[in-house]
Formats: sequence, C-alpha cells, structure tokens
Amino acid sequence: MNTSRPIFIPVILGTTRQGRASENVAKFVLEEVSKREGVETLLIDIREIPLSTLDAGEAIKDAKFSETVARADALVIVTPEYNHSYPGLLKHVLDTNLKEYIHKAVGVCGVSAGVFGGARVIQNLLPVLRELGLVTIFWDGNFAGAHKLFEADGKLLDQSYVKRIDQFLKELIWMAKVLRYGRENISLE
Amino acid sequence: MSENRKMTCPDCGVLMNHHALKIDYTAALDDAEAIDPDLGGIVEEAHTCPACGKTQLRRQAAETGNE
Repeated sequence: MNTSRPIFIPVILGTTRQGRASENVAKFVLEEVSKREGVETLLIDIREIPLSTLDAGEAIKDAKFSETVARADALVIVTPEYNHSYPGLLKHVLDTNLKEYIHKAVGVCGVSAGVFGGARVIQNLLPVLRELGLVTIFWDGNFAGAHKLFEADGKLLDQSYVKRIDQFLKELIWMAKVLRYGRENISLE
Repeated sequence: MSENRKMTCPDCGVLMNHHALKIDYTAALDDAEAIDPDLGGIVEEAHTCPACGKTQLRRQAAETGNE
C-alpha cells in the first residue's frame, strides 16, 4: 500500500438549520479524528457549499467539495434526525458526486434530541450511501439528547462518548486503509 | 483485463487499477445505443491510480472476444 500519503477523513456536518446541535457533535468528532497519527481531517459544513436548488445531481457540482471528497479515503457524516430521516439538503449535497465515493469508507453519527441517538436517520441513510458506492462500517455514533451533551462553549459533558468514538474511528480507519489498498491494487477482473 | 485496456493516470502517467463497475441509468436516457441490453444501463468502469489515488470513470468497451 502507498503509505506516503496520510489517510484523509473529512467530517461532514450535514445540516444547515439554525441552532443545530449537530455542530457540537461534528466539532467533537473532528477533534477526535485529528488526534489520530497518520490521519488528516477537516470539517465540511454543508451550510458553506453554495448549491443551486434549481437543478440537482452532478450538474451542480461544487468544485471544492468534489475535490475534497475525491481526495478522501473515508467520510464521517454527522447528521441530525429530522422527522425520522436525514436533512434534504444533506442528500442534495451528497447527490452531486459519484466517482468520488466509489469504494471509500463511511461512518455515520446520528444526532437527536430524543433517546434514540439518530438511530432512525442512520438506518434511512445507509441505502443512500450504498448506492453512491460508499462502504459503510458497522459502528455508528449515536448522540441522544444532543442539546444536553455539551456546555454552551461546546465542551463535551459525557466523557463516555470519547470511548465510543474511539471504537468507531478504529473501525473506520481500518476500513479506509483496506479500501485504499483495494482501490489501488486489487483488480476487479 | 488485458494490459492494453488499462487506463493511465492523467496526473502520474502510471497504470491505474480497475476496481469497480457502476451502472449509469440516467446517462442511458440520452444515449440509448450505449445501453448494455442485459444490464439495462450504461456500464462505467472505475479506475484508481496506485500512486496518487485519483479515480477516473470511463464507459466499458463492448466485449469483442479478441482478448
């Protein structure tokens, strides 16, 4: 495997809603990813991606987002649960790319005000990710009661999430390395 | 896949690895002649460069039986 390039894992903050609790979660996950040796990361806030709603799909690609995803080995998607599903604008953003995703790893962190920690949004997002060509890991992040998990300054109150995300990231990084090797060395035929 | 059908990375100049196929149903709406009749859409190959990681898509060539 080409080890001269670090593994690159951007964190996607998947909502534009004002007062979003997912922002604290995304920043927490970003900080945990950034602690990993040999891993680069950055935050992709979909609020900052200027996409038209007059069209959809690859026709409205944002060059910066596409370049970032093309360079990625894996993605972390932090998404709130809206009416048991994912934000429409997150889907709008994800749909603008295709080849950039193929055979790359993805892990999802669900965020909800209720007790299920975004379990339903994760279940609904999985088939979308699969069709995009991404490979999902079997660890999830589940952030329940999200508005009570952080102090006003964004400091995490429940330290158990550190261990949970550690396991999530171990699995994601392993999958990212395996898939990079596969993309670059294992032929389909 | 024979060596002469491998893609070359436009950035590095090295041979790329063909690791995936994807059916494009949307493109098939505009190019019916390119549809694989057995699969119902246009088949695209994904190739990734082992040196820089760049991925490129290209339409799969029709099978000729000559390889």
